[in-house]
Amino acid sequence: MDKYTLLALAILIPSLSAFLCYVFNKPWVRNVIVFVTALLMFAVAGGFVYQLLQSGGKIEINLEDLHLPFDIEFIFKLLDFVLLAIIADIGMKRKKPLIVVLAIIQGVLLLLFELFGSVKEPHVAFVVDYLSLIMLLLVSVIGPLITIFATGYMKEHEHHQHLEKSRQPRFFAILFVFLSAMNGLVLTNNLSWMLLFWEVTTLCSFLLISHDGNEQAVKNGLRALWINMLGGVAFVLAIIFIYNALGTLSVEEIIRSKMTPVGLFPVGLGLLCFAGFTKSAQFPFQSWLLGAMVAPTPVSALLHSSTMVKAGVYLIVRIAPVYSGTTLGMIVALAGAFTFVMASAIAISQSNGKRVLAYSTIANLGLIVCCAGIGSYVALGAAILLMIFHAISKALLFLCVGTIELEIGSRDIEDMQGLFKKMPFTTVIAVIGMISMLLPPFGVLLTKWLALEAAVKFPLVLICIIIGSALTLVFWSKWIGIILTVSYHAKYKMEKLPLAMWITMAILVVAIIVTGVDISMIFKAAVAPFLLESMKGVPETILNGINGLWLVGDSGKVVGGFSSIYFFMILFLLFLLYPYLYRKSKAELLKPPYLCGANTEEDTKGLEFNAPADTVDQVIVHNYYFAGAFGEANLTPWANFIAGAIIMIMFGVVI
Amino acid sequence: MDIVILKDILTVVATIILAPFIGGLLTGIDRKITARMQSRSGPPIFQPFYDLFKLLGKERLIVNQTQMMFVIGHLFFAVAALAMFMLGQDLLMLLFIMAFSSIMLIMGAMSVRSPYSKIGAQREIVQIMAYEPVLILMVVGVFLSTGSFMIRPLFSDMFGFGKPLLYDLPLVFIAFIYVLTIKLRKSPFDFSMSHHAHQELIKGITTEFSGPQLAVIELTHWYELVLFLGLITMFFAQPVWIGILIALICYFFEIVIDNISARMTWKWMLQATWIVGIGVAMTNIIWLYLK
Amino acid sequence: MGLVKKSRMKSPWVLHYDCTSCNGCDIETLACLTPLYDVERFGIINVGNPKHADILVVTGSVNKRNEKVLKNLYNQMPEPKAVVAVGACACTGGIFKDCYNVLGGVDKVLPVDVYVPGCCAKPEAIIDGIMIAVSKLEEKAEAMKAKAHA
Repeated sequence: MDKYTLLALAILIPSLSAFLCYVFNKPWVRNVIVFVTALLMFAVAGGFVYQLLQSGGKIEINLEDLHLPFDIEFIFKLLDFVLLAIIADIGMKRKKPLIVVLAIIQGVLLLLFELFGSVKEPHVAFVVDYLSLIMLLLVSVIGPLITIFATGYMKEHEHHQHLEKSRQPRFFAILFVFLSAMNGLVLTNNLSWMLLFWEVTTLCSFLLISHDGNEQAVKNGLRALWINMLGGVAFVLAIIFIYNALGTLSVEEIIRSKMTPVGLFPVGLGLLCFAGFTKSAQFPFQSWLLGAMVAPTPVSALLHSSTMVKAGVYLIVRIAPVYSGTTLGMIVALAGAFTFVMASAIAISQSNGKRVLAYSTIANLGLIVCCAGIGSYVALGAAILLMIFHAISKALLFLCVGTIELEIGSRDIEDMQGLFKKMPFTTVIAVIGMISMLLPPFGVLLTKWLALEAAVKFPLVLICIIIGSALTLVFWSKWIGIILTVSYHAKYKMEKLPLAMWITMAILVVAIIVTGVDISMIFKAAVAPFLLESMKGVPETILNGINGLWLVGDSGKVVGGFSSIYFFMILFLLFLLYPYLYRKSKAELLKPPYLCGANTEEDTKGLEFNAPADTVDQVIVHNYYFAGAFGEANLTPWANFIAGAIIMIMFGVVI
Repeated sequence: MDIVILKDILTVVATIILAPFIGGLLTGIDRKITARMQSRSGPPIFQPFYDLFKLLGKERLIVNQTQMMFVIGHLFFAVAALAMFMLGQDLLMLLFIMAFSSIMLIMGAMSVRSPYSKIGAQREIVQIMAYEPVLILMVVGVFLSTGSFMIRPLFSDMFGFGKPLLYDLPLVFIAFIYVLTIKLRKSPFDFSMSHHAHQELIKGITTEFSGPQLAVIELTHWYELVLFLGLITMFFAQPVWIGILIALICYFFEIVIDNISARMTWKWMLQATWIVGIGVAMTNIIWLYLK
Repeated sequence: MGLVKKSRMKSPWVLHYDCTSCNGCDIETLACLTPLYDVERFGIINVGNPKHADILVVTGSVNKRNEKVLKNLYNQMPEPKAVVAVGACACTGGIFKDCYNVLGGVDKVLPVDVYVPGCCAKPEAIIDGIMIAVSKLEEKAEAMKAKAHA
């Protein structure tokens, strides 16, 4: 299959499936469509991998070679305006003037841009290099997986909602449109086309957040819409400025141009970063991502953790080589690091599981932005690796929380006490997911380690990352502790989950372990070639040693490194040991927890104690939440204020 | 087999065997010195070993089926961290492996439905939050001073009289000793579990561990103790015997602090370590940047 | 396992429970920890947690209220374990024997290994009692092993 077909398939297959899902109402037909689409998307992603390896690192797709019978550029532009009209319409219907105004501003700017500057579109419309390939793989592998999960989840979800008519056709249609737009976004080389895909994801995000249709959902959806539209306006302005300065909209050429202070080019870059901040929910734009947690869980997993929010950081990482080493880069790094530490701090005070995940997502995106801002070889490598590992782990965690919520009817962490007894499978998977977010030898921690070693020359950024990573440890370990809480049970019964749900989780957890073990291979195969290509002349400072990554200093000596494989072996050994320890724990050795001698007679679990006046009382233990120190209401205004100031400084610098 | 790998393996094996003896002995000396400071005659030097073997011979009580796995994980990762130190690996990663070890203990303590062990675990988490930034800053200081995150170069010239690391990092060293008090479970920072006041939260994080489980936790603590003294040695590694001597003096100093101070609250600890610890370490690091 | 055997003799950890003592025996028990008597030289540590304890030291007579607690604490101690009744009340109920709520000495509830008489018991006597209890741990360990095999 040639590259043109592959490209068309990558964008059109999901669109077609969206259409089919919308048309066919029968659940089994829909499940078949979802499943087949997933397989096809895997195949397309595989095809791209093959093509890229064949072509030696870069596929350029020039649509002019195809001699299409219609003007594709015109279609894209038309779609742009249609989209803005739809968004403005939503704003009108929901009585939200801000959205209408933002849509109109965007429309007018675009129109002026098209009318007054005969725009020269880049010849090469699509470019696939290793970074877009990584993103493509994330979108086309994790995306369909989550969609498969959604087939099982949405059935249960609607069952709880008691709907008269299923709204699943709409739901799956939007999911697929979104996947299609994401694929387009990461592959395109034309900044103005990227804008279209960008706005499609914004719209999808709104539709999916407000999917349940209640007041809260619509309100949060609208907030997401206007904040992302704000980013959209910045994006349009960036296009105009950059085109004026460089006379091109090709992302490739923009990257090659380096940081030349031609006209308003730096401002354009700043605006692109700003757009990336809004989409990746960096402080002070984090509120839309938190609000988005009202959406059904697959939406949170797909859009708000693994893919859509990655679009923002993708853009920032993509243009990182341009501003690397400049003041703009430093301030982007600072903004990201600040988001990292604040989001981690606020996460400590949260007891709502999805909100903790949301804050953790914001924090990790902050870290990616920070690494991109630092822009050195190691930092950029860390950013890309973190994009991969975070996407997998966070997708898994959201799916776990969704599954747990369906079972226990709550997403509050305190209600998850003793989860291990109710759903051992989900618990073990969730724990692996959480551990992979905060501890070595898993990928996310390794990238944090790389980030720290890269940030070591920038004190302000460094201190943010250091404190942030200490805070990260707190909220994860609290949560892990709660869900692992379990009394003695002679036998554990596996929970019954729909096939689609447990298979997805199993695949993702295997993916976490495999990518974790193979980190050096992933780095060598996909990340290093991109770094070498995009940062020509910069010495290679990460080597793959034996099953690990090693950093090389200026003098060519190894200055740091880690062989994760040995630690995976230790973990594996623990797992092997567990059946033995389990068999050793016999029922006659069981003693209830210590309750100052006040355990009730029959209770072996430590749930009750003899209270005064011959009554029996419940034992209740809560986690610490430090609401005074890290409370959301306390920290958010200050954090927003400082983050706003950082963004002001960013613009001040580029102007 | 490659001679270098063989040497590494031998080092690791020797560490795994010898470290508990050193750690246990030091703990015994600690208890003896503490007793003498309180004008008691104190237990025999080998008392920690007696305790360990007695605990191993006790009934294997359980509260649930998962506790033991976490305890063993706690041990494994502490040993791994020490092995990393002996092999001169990345200092930053060593800290994260150490954190894994602590988190394993926290998971074990929180896996049971016991209010005491749960609160102990929460306090342990606060302790980690308090000392982790300072430890990472120490690593940053080491990098700025030597240009490398690896421990091996620090011990490259073990018997010559070179310029010690302390020369660049006096304040970082003070901050490090300061937070080491938390890691060694010494007053005034010993509120998740202490070696003395046995009535504080019953026994904090170890309340629900008994017999062999407790023995493993104690053993792990010995490994950790050796690791921390090793980290102190790192600051004076040239020549190494001075480093070891100073590590022992620092340990003595910690014992004195332990005996003359009262336990504080976790809020106080967090403020004290973040403001004083991070502040002091940062001051040092800033001058390294400017140099 | 000579090492474990020897260690068992040298590291008795004590859980002290005050039933309804008048606090006289408790003061004497705590006096054992002071520099003058320093029980730590025998490896004795006063722990606050039955799960860590080898020897249960009980002062005061047992009544209907604390009977449950006493049993519960004893139950949570891992084998091998011994019970030392300290003071007249713990041994027999003492002067409270005939009170309407008092059941009697500790041996009404638990198998007592060592009785330390006195009102109050002297610290020397308490230490001696504990050391005698320690010497009984070994046969209990044998019994524990035999039970495990059976």
